[in-house]
Amino acid sequence: MTPLYFGERSRRLFGLYTPAHATGGRARGAVLCAPWGAEYLRAHRSMAQLGKWLGEAGVHVLRFDYHGTGDSAGDMGEARIDGWTEDVQTAIDELKDTAGLQRVTLVGLRLGATLAARAAAKRRRDVDGLVLWDPVVSGREHLSELRALHAQTLRTRGLSDGASELLGFPMTEALVRDIEGIDLLNPAPTWPARTLAVVSETREAWRALGAALPPGDGSAVESIDVQPAWLEDRHSGAGAVPVKLLRRVVDWAVT
Amino acid sequence: MSQAHAAEQTLLLGQNQGLVGVITPPLPPADGAPAREDPPFVIILNAGIIHRVGPNRLHVSLARALSADGFPVLRVDLSGLGDSAVREDGSTPLDATLADIREILDTLEATRQVKRVVLMGLCSGADHSVIYASTDPRVAGVALLDPSIPRTTGYYVKHYSGRMLSLRTWKNVAMGRHPLWKLLKKRPTQVAPDVEGGAPADMAAARPAVTLEHPEVRAYLENAYGRALANGAQFLAVLTSDRERQHNYGGQLEDAFPSLDFKGKLLIEYFDRCDHTFTTLASQQRLVGLVRRWMGGAGFI
Repeated sequence: MTPLYFGERSRRLFGLYTPAHATGGRARGAVLCAPWGAEYLRAHRSMAQLGKWLGEAGVHVLRFDYHGTGDSAGDMGEARIDGWTEDVQTAIDELKDTAGLQRVTLVGLRLGATLAARAAAKRRRDVDGLVLWDPVVSGREHLSELRALHAQTLRTRGLSDGASELLGFPMTEALVRDIEGIDLLNPAPTWPARTLAVVSETREAWRALGAALPPGDGSAVESIDVQPAWLEDRHSGAGAVPVKLLRRVVDWAVT
Repeated sequence: MSQAHAAEQTLLLGQNQGLVGVITPPLPPADGAPAREDPPFVIILNAGIIHRVGPNRLHVSLARALSADGFPVLRVDLSGLGDSAVREDGSTPLDATLADIREILDTLEATRQVKRVVLMGLCSGADHSVIYASTDPRVAGVALLDPSIPRTTGYYVKHYSGRMLSLRTWKNVAMGRHPLWKLLKKRPTQVAPDVEGGAPADMAAARPAVTLEHPEVRAYLENAYGRALANGAQFLAVLTSDRERQHNYGGQLEDAFPSLDFKGKLLIEYFDRCDHTFTTLASQQRLVGLVRRWMGGAGFI
C-alpha cells in the first residue's frame, strides 16, 4: 500500500494506492468513494478493509479523501458537491494512470455513492461498473437524519453548538444548498452497464432504486443484513465492519 | 474561512515501513521573523481506534495550527490502527504501541535529525504518550487530552455534592429508581456468588473490576508520570466534563499523585460542558488555542 498526494497543486488529494495481487485474471481497478463528515470517520475501517480485500482479489485500488476532508488539503469551508465530484474524476485518472487501466469500477458509500454515480455519468468511457453502498438518494433526507443525530448528540452530552456545524464539522450555507439539491433518481441517471446497489437497511428510497437500475445480469439491489458501517458502534467513534457485505462487493467486482 | 497551510507529505515508518503517517511541515513565520531554531517534532497518536485524522478531524486542525507556529507535526497510525499494518512480532498491544513509537522516533532522528519530540493524544493516545515519555528522554513534552487519572477524595466530594444538590437524584430516590434501592434489595448470595461452582458469567461478575484506583494501576501511572517528569518533560493536560465518571476538576492530576512535583511543568485546564471528542466547533477552537499557547510558552523554542 502506498500513501500519496495527487491532483492539482491547488487541490491536493490524499490517497492510498493498493496494487492488485497477481491472480492471472484481467487487470481491474476500483476507486473507493468515502462518505463525508462523521460518517467518513466511522466508515474508515470498513473502507480500509474493502481496499485490502479487493487488492487480494486482484483489483488495483485507490482510496482517497475529498478536498477539505480527511488528510487532503483544504477545509470544510471550501467543500462543494461539484468539487467533490471532480475529485472522484481526478481519482479515476490517477488510478488509470498508476495501474495502466482503461476503465475502473467506482465503489461509493453513502454520499460517496451519490458522488460516484455523478462522476460515472460524466465519465462513461472510463467507468465500467458502479457499486452504490447504502447510497444517499435524497439530500434533504440525508441532512435531516444528520441534523437529528446532531441534536441527539448535543442533548445527551449536555452541549450547545454554534449555528453552522453538524456532528463536529463546519457547514457552509453553500454546502447545505448543494446537499439539499441532491436527488439521485431525478433526473434519471445514466448508469454504467453493471451497477450494484447493496444496502444494509430497509428503506423506501432504496426500494425505489431497484426499479431505476439498468436491466441485465450485472445490476441489482441486494439487501444484506449487517450493521451499517457508517454508524457509530458502542461509543468507539468508529463503525462496525460489515464483513458479509464487503465480501459481496469484492465478489461482484471480480465477476 | 480557509487558511493557507503547508503542503503535507506522506511517510511510511516503523517495522517493515508498515506505519502510515502524514507530516505537516512548519510554515515560515508570516511576519518575516526568523524561523524557530530546532523546534521539537510534534507527534499526534491515535485516539482510540480512530485513524490519524482524529475525531472531528481534530488532529488535522491541531497539526495545521502548530505548523503555522513553526512546529513540524506528524500524525500517524500505530500498528493495527487506521491504515497501518499489524506488527508481526507477537507483541502485546501496549508493547506494540511503545515499540511503534520508539521506531517512529528512531526514524525521525535518523532521517531528519530530530532530537526532541512532543507526544500528543486523546484518551488512549494520552496514556500512550505519558507511558512512552517515561522511557525516552527525547520526549520534551506531552499534551494529554482526557488521560486516565485515578479518582481522588476531591473527586468524590465534588461528585457526591453535585448529586446531593441534584433534583433528579432526589426524584429517583422518591420514585424508587435510584441505584441505592437496588443495592439495599440485594440478597447476600447475589453480592458474593459462588465462584467455584458458578458458570463463566458468574465468574466474570465475581472478578473484582480493575479500576484506575487499584493500587497497582495507580503505582504504574505514578511511576510513568514520575519518570516522564524526571526525563524533563513538560505537561499539558486537558480534562473534559464528559469524563465526569473519572475526573471532575482541574487539580485532580496533581492530587492523584501527591508524591510528584509538577511545579512549573504542568498546565492543566478543565473544559466544562465539553465532550470527550470535542464535538462542538467552539470546544475545538478552544483546544487548538490552548495547545498553541502551551507550545509557545513551554520552553520549546
